[in-house]
Amino acid sequence: MKRALTFMLVALFAAGSLFAQQTTPPAPAAPREAKLPEAAEKTLANGLRVVVVPRAGVPLVAARVMIRTGAAADPAGRDGLAQLTSSVLTKGTKTRSAQEIARGVEALGATIETDAGWDSTSVDLSVMSPNLDKALEVVADVVRNATFAGKELELERAQAIDSMQVTLGQPGSVASLVATRLLFGDSPYGHSANGTPKSLARIRRDDLVAFHRNFYRPDNAALVLAGDVTPDAAFALAERLFGSWKKGAPVSAPAAPAQIEARRRVVVIDMPEAGQAAVVVARPGIRRTDPAYYRALVANSVLGGGYSARLNQEIRIKRGLSYGAGSSFQPRLYVGPFAARTETKNESAPEVADVIVAQMTGLASADVPETELTPRKAVLIGDFGQSLESAAGIVDRVSALALYGLPLREINGYVGNVQAVTAEQVRRFAASNLRGEDATIVIAGDAKKFEEQLRKQFESVEVIPIADLDLNSPTLRMRKAKG
Amino acid sequence: MRALRFTLALLLVASAAAAAVTIPPVDYRHRVLANGLEVYSVQDRSTPTVAIHVWYRVGSKDDPAGRSGFAHLFEHIMFKSTKNMKSEMMDRLTEDVGGFNNAMTLDDATAYYELVPSNYLETLLWAEAERMGSLNVDEANFNSERDVVKEEFRFRVLAPPYGRLFYAIDRDSFSAHPYRRPGIGSIEDLDAATLEDVKSFHATYYRPDNAVLIVSGDFDQKQLDAWVDQYFGPIAKPETKIPRVDVKEPARTEEKRVDELVPNVPLPALAINWLIPNAAHPDAAPLVIAATILAEGESSRLQEKLVRGEIAQEVTADADLREDLGRFTVVAFMATGHQPPEAEKVIRAEIASIAAKGVTAAELEKAKNLFLTSALRERETSNGRAFALGEAVVIHEDAAAVNRGLEQIQAVTSADVQRVMKKYATDAKPVVIDYREKPAPAEAAAPAGGAR
Repeated sequence: MKRALTFMLVALFAAGSLFAQQTTPPAPAAPREAKLPEAAEKTLANGLRVVVVPRAGVPLVAARVMIRTGAAADPAGRDGLAQLTSSVLTKGTKTRSAQEIARGVEALGATIETDAGWDSTSVDLSVMSPNLDKALEVVADVVRNATFAGKELELERAQAIDSMQVTLGQPGSVASLVATRLLFGDSPYGHSANGTPKSLARIRRDDLVAFHRNFYRPDNAALVLAGDVTPDAAFALAERLFGSWKKGAPVSAPAAPAQIEARRRVVVIDMPEAGQAAVVVARPGIRRTDPAYYRALVANSVLGGGYSARLNQEIRIKRGLSYGAGSSFQPRLYVGPFAARTETKNESAPEVADVIVAQMTGLASADVPETELTPRKAVLIGDFGQSLESAAGIVDRVSALALYGLPLREINGYVGNVQAVTAEQVRRFAASNLRGEDATIVIAGDAKKFEEQLRKQFESVEVIPIADLDLNSPTLRMRKAKG
Repeated sequence: MRALRFTLALLLVASAAAAAVTIPPVDYRHRVLANGLEVYSVQDRSTPTVAIHVWYRVGSKDDPAGRSGFAHLFEHIMFKSTKNMKSEMMDRLTEDVGGFNNAMTLDDATAYYELVPSNYLETLLWAEAERMGSLNVDEANFNSERDVVKEEFRFRVLAPPYGRLFYAIDRDSFSAHPYRRPGIGSIEDLDAATLEDVKSFHATYYRPDNAVLIVSGDFDQKQLDAWVDQYFGPIAKPETKIPRVDVKEPARTEEKRVDELVPNVPLPALAINWLIPNAAHPDAAPLVIAATILAEGESSRLQEKLVRGEIAQEVTADADLREDLGRFTVVAFMATGHQPPEAEKVIRAEIASIAAKGVTAAELEKAKNLFLTSALRERETSNGRAFALGEAVVIHEDAAAVNRGLEQIQAVTSADVQRVMKKYATDAKPVVIDYREKPAPAEAAAPAGGAR
């Protein structure tokens, strides 16, 4: 997989003399090819898709039950339902109490973690391979037979509310949540996936039960295993633990949201005494199945994907304005966000916002030189290879392909797909998807230290005091109390 | 210079709840160059990548006087120019070819590491030898990187709601040992640092006889040995003695209580800790098991009592093992409507109960299995194995600890856990930190007894 990287070395080291090995780096040897993991798969009679990627060496297995529904399906006013459902899932079944589940799993040295993303919910198991059967049995039980007892819901709700309160004390989290709302409004990706103290308080037990009944079903799920397990053993285990799981009425995907428009807004969330300001610059991104997916990956790798990408070069390395700056696309079932972000001392927030906007726009103004493009592709390819070095990393990659209905063999095409992207494609992609002028800018921090400067740079700046911020509302502001 | 090969028996871990697990040992070779550089190598040719680590025996505890945070600032400077490398060239040699690099500054050591496609091994050995041999940094680079570290300080300490708590724990806990100074430093001390300090720090500590090279992953042993000799062999071993911290932390004679009142704390927290021996001490393993039984996993004692009991939103326990001495720390992040003293009462009662009655067989086995599974996850990759080995060599001061540590964990008994909780906690004195929101100025100025 690293073969394609060799030609670049010529460019890098051509300047070095062949005879001066002490003063220039020695050239690399011939690369060795990596073997990609091979997946075996089978679909059970009830529709559950089972994928196994064996990997010998360490007696460890990672397994995930992936439900193809996540926070995008949260009903109006019930922000955080998918997440809360997933966290109460492990708190009791028809035959096991919450404490029995925790004790049973932990006695095996295993961990079970649940998480709701936007498009899917995952129940992740990490376990020593000899204990796989016993631990996966618990996973199957919680996924199929969770009871959502009222007192367990109250416990998880209280914890989720406390944890949201802490989250809302961090400038970085606040800026992200606000940018999300500004981009997506009241469409499915617009709310806080973890809910807000207000929305969490509204969720009832019936909501969890219905969410579970509607979406946690074999024909809306996949089981992905990687590590020290053979396909035959895994298929037999899947049949035994999930074979009698009943499918239900077909699940429809959440309706496609209206087209999301890029729109320049500059919003400040004033957090007095914040120790640092967080700056987020966001735009609508792409769908995961967009034909431009690999162009987006490469464009982002140049702009903000990694240490030496342009944003970190300009903001950290050249100007010393931050500990780190970067950007990413979150391609989803529907158009997900693009966001560039950084944290800086309050006083330099406006300067950093300018740099980000200029770098985004700059990507569309000229072709990225090959001497820059090649290493930025190498970063993607290297990260890809590293992610496949752990069982959990393999499960992550394979589940994402399964979620979006992409062929699993795309994993073998990753390197070639990245290599095929040209500088011209990056420029064109940036021109239509990364223009800074119509990006949304959010700064969360101590406004008195930067508001005046920000107003000099941008025409209209909206300032919302943190005490008035309402993430439940597309307007972001609390309604004024009467009287 | 002779290479030694340690042949290790596979560790067999039996468990009542499950089948026996075979943990593959970290199978390392060791040799020492004439200039004092220690070299460890662990071969695994299953993927074409290799991890290169250089651990220096210098950490935050060696920060010069009035220069807290200097060892860490220096770590950043090590990515700037040397005699033959331009600034950020390390990124060209790693990131640009599909690898990565990073570094970390601990209290006792500073580790620099890279993971690269294995055909770049020689290139990286050259680069690490280059920055061990010389640094050549200018004022502009130094000033800009110092600004980056100040932003790191704001990012880690000032911005997060509990940042100032973790900043305060060491300062409030150690009375004499330099562990009491924050590794990230302070804006003041960072501003005081000079380019002269950088040169002198490199000359003092960055030398072959104060370093450990670890190569883990895909390589040919003979070829590796030849490259190590070629690039690291010529680096001179200075005549000067390496300064070592020899401050002894006195035993605590009384309980100490500290109020940390700071801005931006949505919910208060409690931190309580006791001093414990160093990482190499035989009591380290039972202390790790005690911390696991107290707070690892939902079925641990404190998770059940405090989190399920709705007193705290989160609780952690940690046997923080260091080269000179450590601290056993429990932190509770309070739930809405609850105050730190409630958590303190429960934590002390649980520790007292272990000190009086020990732990159950089921708890013991669970803790061992949790520890083992997490060790397996760490050892899944070449880079993870290099970290485990570096920690054993530098912090535990014994390479064999990388494998023996797992055996020691398996050997811990209920009586061991009981004994260490009694000796280091109930028979000793804690530092208790109550962390909460600083009252707003108007409130603070209100007359005593005023209405709220």
